[in-house]
Amino acid sequence: MTEDPLFRPPAGFVQVTSSGGFSTHNGPYWERPAEGRVVRGFHALPRHANALGIVHGGMLTAFLDSTMGVAVHRLVHSRSVTIRLVADFLSPGRVGDWLQAEAELIGVDEGVAHIRASLSGPRHLVMTGQGSFALLRTGRPVRYPKPRPATAAPLSDSA
Amino acid sequence: MDAPVSNPAASVAENPPPGFRPINFSRDGTRADFNTHVGTLYGKRGEKGTPDAFVMGFRVQPHMCNPVGGLHGGMMMTVADLVAGMGTNVHTGLRRFLPTVNMTFDFVAPARVGDWVEGRCEVVRVTRNLAFAHIFLTVGERRILRASSIMKVPSDPAAGRAPPAKS
Repeated sequence: MTEDPLFRPPAGFVQVTSSGGFSTHNGPYWERPAEGRVVRGFHALPRHANALGIVHGGMLTAFLDSTMGVAVHRLVHSRSVTIRLVADFLSPGRVGDWLQAEAELIGVDEGVAHIRASLSGPRHLVMTGQGSFALLRTGRPVRYPKPRPATAAPLSDSA
Repeated sequence: MDAPVSNPAASVAENPPPGFRPINFSRDGTRADFNTHVGTLYGKRGEKGTPDAFVMGFRVQPHMCNPVGGLHGGMMMTVADLVAGMGTNVHTGLRRFLPTVNMTFDFVAPARVGDWVEGRCEVVRVTRNLAFAHIFLTVGERRILRASSIMKVPSDPAAGRAPPAKS
């Protein structure tokens, strides 16, 4: 893989040991510890681009989805599978950009967790998304975190 | 020069069904873009005016999977996004690059390594500015992903030619 040897992630980010073929094939992904949310980023490379030279919507969506899935794992302490994902593409990400996603829990019951996420580049918000994740039984009881207030503030500006 | 379209990461025999040919996404034959990197992706042209006018297909490879060995949702979404853009072009004769504005994905069923996945789209409506499409990914008769896409139709026809899809 043609990585940029000079690339350094922003302060606080450590490389994620990814498992699974797809994530290994398209990473590396990076993460910064954060309270009550999940913050992950990746460095957009030529292999993430489409014919126009901007980052492929499929890559952006895959990355946002995986960040959301990790958020379910961290905040609800359950493994899960995506059952629905809605993605709004606001502006393009470019090769060379550091693209950073933030995901937070907006609601959960015994079967489904709802996650809201955004992805930003160095210049602006690239996409926002919301996902519903079916929780998989693990034998452990699911912990119910405090729900967000009804008038939830917009996601804080990452970057 | 023709780019190598077969993905070296593939470890399961591709055996595309009759009529499917690898899609060459690389314009200059030197760059491995995302479509090439995650593939190999195949295309088939069928009778115009039918859902089979444009079909995308691929064999599920380990490099497309999640840790549990199922087809990664990111791969399904990538292909659905492509099927929306390329399919809408074929079905309507637009011949533009259609940037995605919104997509909604419902993950109906999983797929496993070795499965042959096909994607088809139905154009719901095309306005001056937007195109609306439905996309289904299937394994045999089984639907695995239902998606809905809203794309922007660029106002300048010359602004974004659809990427060559030499299938």
